[in-house]
Amino acid sequence: MSASITRKRQGTDGSVGSSTWQQLWKYRHFYLFVSPFFILFSIFGLYPLLFSLFLSFTKWDGITAIHWAGLYNFQLMIHDELLWRSLWNTLVIGLLYIPPMLILAFLFAQILNSQWLKFKSLYRAAFFLPAVTPMVVIAVVFSLIFSSERGVLNYLLLGFNHVLPIFHFKAIHWLDSENWSKVSVAILVVWRWTGYNMVLMLAGLQAIPIDYYEAAQLDGASPLQSMRHVTWPLLQPVFRFCLLLSLLGTLYMFDEVFVLTNGGPGTSSTNFGLYLFNLSFTDFKFGYASCVAYSVAIFVFGASLAINRLNRRNSEAS
Amino acid sequence: MTSARKPGQLALRMVTYVVLSGLAVIFVFPFYWLLSASFKTQAQIFVTPPHWIPSHLLWSNYGELFNETNILRAFFNSVVTSSGSVLLSLFLCSLGGYAFAKYPMAPGNNRMFAFVLGTMLIPGAVTLIPTFEILVHIHWINTYWALIVPGAVGAFGIFWMRQYMTANLPDDLLAAARIDGCSEFGIYWRIAVPIAQPALAALGIMNLIGSWNNLMWAFIVLRTPSMYTLPLVIYLMQGEMSTPWGMLMAGGVLTVLPLVIAFLLFQKQFVAGITAGAVKQ
Repeated sequence: MSASITRKRQGTDGSVGSSTWQQLWKYRHFYLFVSPFFILFSIFGLYPLLFSLFLSFTKWDGITAIHWAGLYNFQLMIHDELLWRSLWNTLVIGLLYIPPMLILAFLFAQILNSQWLKFKSLYRAAFFLPAVTPMVVIAVVFSLIFSSERGVLNYLLLGFNHVLPIFHFKAIHWLDSENWSKVSVAILVVWRWTGYNMVLMLAGLQAIPIDYYEAAQLDGASPLQSMRHVTWPLLQPVFRFCLLLSLLGTLYMFDEVFVLTNGGPGTSSTNFGLYLFNLSFTDFKFGYASCVAYSVAIFVFGASLAINRLNRRNSEAS
Repeated sequence: MTSARKPGQLALRMVTYVVLSGLAVIFVFPFYWLLSASFKTQAQIFVTPPHWIPSHLLWSNYGELFNETNILRAFFNSVVTSSGSVLLSLFLCSLGGYAFAKYPMAPGNNRMFAFVLGTMLIPGAVTLIPTFEILVHIHWINTYWALIVPGAVGAFGIFWMRQYMTANLPDDLLAAARIDGCSEFGIYWRIAVPIAQPALAALGIMNLIGSWNNLMWAFIVLRTPSMYTLPLVIYLMQGEMSTPWGMLMAGGVLTVLPLVIAFLLFQKQFVAGITAGAVKQ
């Protein structure tokens, strides 16, 4: 819209006679400066996007000739147990880690935002550092920590039994039991991403004007009440953003699972990202993998549009 | 009322400090465990009860790492690919962002910028296979280019630089430079880039993290050990049968250290970058 306004303004500006070509020439530097993006995007974004759509209807291993397969890949998806398994695992891992992570991040942000706290940057650094470091290394260290016979975590867990005899913990097979592998991945992800979400929420908190809290205090609101009625509603957009990032992150997560469990034992911790990677670069089913990637991406896109619309309707109603 | 609340408040604050510090220790512990394991023998790493503090600093893990593996080469590869992709992306993103911010009258500016933003919706998983195929065709597999070029201009980087330049680059300054006879590229290079340094720092650090830590893409496009980057070397050091844990930990320290140092030095820019980027959405 503002583009048309701009154009109108130029029309009455005295440069009446200037044709489109003259306009384009006048602003040639603009087109020159933005061209790298469009060139690189055409090669490494647009073309792959279209080629991948085409591949979705083919059978191809990347080496031999491409065979047209029609809708065969889509039929294959319905009966692909591993695909559904990986989506289910994604959901479970997400449910396991997103709530504790967001709550923890919110509490950290809330505490780090209080004025009386000292050593703020020290605490912030400690919580944020995991988000900076290479996942490979961290996952390797966690596999040491999670080791069922000689890991630190089980050592501490069994130590509880001595300190408080009411507990009867047994050593947990963190990485080599189907029930616990997802939990281990979830713990690693909480450790890795809490600080990142904390930083986002901290920025959200700092954007809330202090006047609001002062007004609430004047009206006799307790700290908890002003958290409920001032902080919570105003932090909603940040919260939703963090939630969206986490949901997408769980779906396409790779390094965490690849290094820590490689999806195992069995397929108990294979999430969608790892499944897709294996399909592409272990099995070399390029056609089918494209089909799966496309279908899931479109589903996710549609779902987030629907959620967005619902949200907007709710906020208009209230 | 305030005086009545004080003792309770003080206690609450003390509890907060204790809990927060405890959690901070837990969050830092894996780093400590990495560092301390790099100074232990294989047996000491797995001993129960664990040696919380290594009895003495064993340097042989580092010695073996340098003698038996190509770790210095991997370090060099990581430095080349990371700095290459950071510099290229900073240049192209700031150039594009500058153009979108400072030529608002250029026909199509708004629509093209909307298009740039739209490309952020494309998930990398969808374009992975064709991108790999392109690299095969242009013979970039097992080269530095494969790690540097495909991700060089991101939509986010352009968006980020545009926002900063719009807010912080006065039009008068550009007009004055133009009158003085400065070329359009000269204005970008000599005026816009120096002013945008904080935004460049934040974007650069974000990119650095992404490229330094990149495992999947390195795994896909690198073929010969002399080209391996640090994350790939670390990943492949885990053996099917036996893993040289001490050496692996020493390599891990070497991989983590540059980023930790960068983070501690530039913590402010870093946090500022991430937060501003997210809040504006």
